[in-house]
Amino acid sequence: MAATSGQGRSFGTFIVGLTVACVGIAYFSSGIGKFTLAVGAVIFGLSLIQFLKLKPLEGQPAQIGGAGGMKALGAFIACFGWLLILGGLHVVTGTGGRIGLALVGIAVSLFGILFVLPAAFNKNAIWKA
Amino acid sequence: MIMEHTIMRRIVRACSCFYLLAIVLSLCTAALAQAAAPSSAATPPPSVATAELKDAAVKAPTADALKAGDPGGTLTGTITDVPASDSKAGVTLPDVANQVGQNKIGINFTWTLVCGFLVMFMQAGFAMVEAGLCRVKNSNHTYMMNFFVYGCGLLAYWLIGFAIQMGGSAGNGNLGGLNPLNIEHPITLFGKTWGLFGGTGMFLAGHTYDVAVMVIFLFQMVFMDTALTIVTGACAERWKFLTFAVSSVLMGAFTYPLFANWAWGGGWLAQLGTNLGLGKGYSDFAGSGVVHAVGGLTALAVALIVGPRIGKFNRDGSSNVILGHDISAVLIGCFILAFGWFGFNPGSTLGASANGNLRIGSVAVNTMLAGCTGTFGAILYMWIMKGKPDASMSGNGLLAGLVAITAPSGFVNPTSSAIIGLIAGVLVCVSVAFVEGVLKVDDPVGAISVHGANGLWGVLSVGLFADGTSNYGGSWNGVSGSVTGLFYGDASQLAAQLVGISTLLGFVFTFSFALNMVLEFFLGHRVSAESEVAGLDLPEMGQLGYPEFLFAKEPDIFVTHPREFAVA
Repeated sequence: MAATSGQGRSFGTFIVGLTVACVGIAYFSSGIGKFTLAVGAVIFGLSLIQFLKLKPLEGQPAQIGGAGGMKALGAFIACFGWLLILGGLHVVTGTGGRIGLALVGIAVSLFGILFVLPAAFNKNAIWKA
Repeated sequence: MIMEHTIMRRIVRACSCFYLLAIVLSLCTAALAQAAAPSSAATPPPSVATAELKDAAVKAPTADALKAGDPGGTLTGTITDVPASDSKAGVTLPDVANQVGQNKIGINFTWTLVCGFLVMFMQAGFAMVEAGLCRVKNSNHTYMMNFFVYGCGLLAYWLIGFAIQMGGSAGNGNLGGLNPLNIEHPITLFGKTWGLFGGTGMFLAGHTYDVAVMVIFLFQMVFMDTALTIVTGACAERWKFLTFAVSSVLMGAFTYPLFANWAWGGGWLAQLGTNLGLGKGYSDFAGSGVVHAVGGLTALAVALIVGPRIGKFNRDGSSNVILGHDISAVLIGCFILAFGWFGFNPGSTLGASANGNLRIGSVAVNTMLAGCTGTFGAILYMWIMKGKPDASMSGNGLLAGLVAITAPSGFVNPTSSAIIGLIAGVLVCVSVAFVEGVLKVDDPVGAISVHGANGLWGVLSVGLFADGTSNYGGSWNGVSGSVTGLFYGDASQLAAQLVGISTLLGFVFTFSFALNMVLEFFLGHRVSAESEVAGLDLPEMGQLGYPEFLFAKEPDIFVTHPREFAVA
């Protein structure tokens, strides 16, 4: 289907929702700010519903879904490496230890990003079909 | 009666004379008393400086003299150009001091703004590089993504992104203090306070309607937009325009500003030095991490989700080369980017006048050198390993060198810059092969390697090569002294840089991935297979980029069986 007026309208709604919500956040301390944030959130939600309705009209992409669990696992491992460092920095005090800890954390994150996630996405890759 | 009148007149005259005499005497007495009084009670004599100011005012060229013109430039710009707070008193020392202060801020404003304008022009370079590396049937779509990302990013940044990033960054003396940006929302962990996100500056309203805030907004905004436009290259030729627009708005509003706050806005990464004694805290002079790694890792996240182009990989996993349509656009775009980088790196001093800012020349030369050696690294690698000095990889080598030197440019010497750039040039070639051959991720322009891999390398290189000679006001991130890397004696700086790299991988990548997976659910990232095969210019943009071109026939694998690839 490609780009349509409907897509333009939904994007416009999204932008209006985001803007109104931001006005609400900027003036959140006042009553009118909270109300504006709520209105913005509703408009924002409407734009998401519009997006969902438009999605099937696009036509079939050259893409296969699936392997959702593995994708989530890959993202979790990537994040876990970081959390490992954040927690460990307060436990390990020496510079050498902190460098070692950071390298371990980075290796864990890279494992999630460079091995688990690509494997998840390539499991049903279009070029294998 | 006549006698009485005469006597009265004489009496009046005598009194008048006596009265006048009394006045004269009192005045003389007062004058003598004043002369005899201590000097402190007297009117202060004009100081030497004041006298010199008055002398300079007298000697300044008159309006008549200036009418004749000043071809040598010796008459223009004198004391007459210094505004006097009291025109009767003339120019005073306080007037001169105020003018000096305003000159410093004026120079820094001008420098920062001009550098920001240069960075803004980099959008044109990115557009040319990315479109040139894509097929002609997608040129309009690729150019439009690069064009519209500017608006998407600017709007999102004005709404909320700037407040998140810079809302608590008060204290920059180069730009007059930035005092209205004074709220950083912190979290307390393990007895230490860590900055998480800023809280002032939304819509640039209220107290942030301020001359200095406008300068820093413009400069930081164009940096943010650079990060956004990196993603469009990695996802070119199959990214749905609507999803691109929504994704870019959200990245400009949240993803980029959060990490930028942690590194540049007074957030927790910058506080690693003050809170944990890790060097001078995470140090990223101009954004190898903040801008390029954020863009490159987001590009990887989205490229994974959107998947490879039809025909990029064969069934056995081997890849096909999909040539771009205009190598001249690519190389000219690279030159535009290299030019804009002189705004990126030297501009990151946020001033050209004040303690340490004269290092701008060093920063600029470091930038040039790393770009040069990056080009050499890529050309030599391709020439030796593949037999030809590949043009597109040469361009990527230039950009890789520039990306890598962005973080260390303010902290390293020229020799280190050359080494950093050379390694970057080789790294980009190896990384492109790894991303394509091992990860099976399709990145038409090499953005993941140029900006992601080399962004991380740039962050790491600060922890290795920073030579401890920089002095930006005597401290960095609130820790006195200069940023010094492992090779110059401070291993703790390397630890801080590694924490930064971990945050980029563990937070920025994961956050971008999760955000774009949500968009995948609501919108879908990828265009239909039929649109992809037809080229996105007509389906997505309604107009061909080059309407008079006759498209060459593509290999069958790219065009014959779109339905076969539409396996969803």
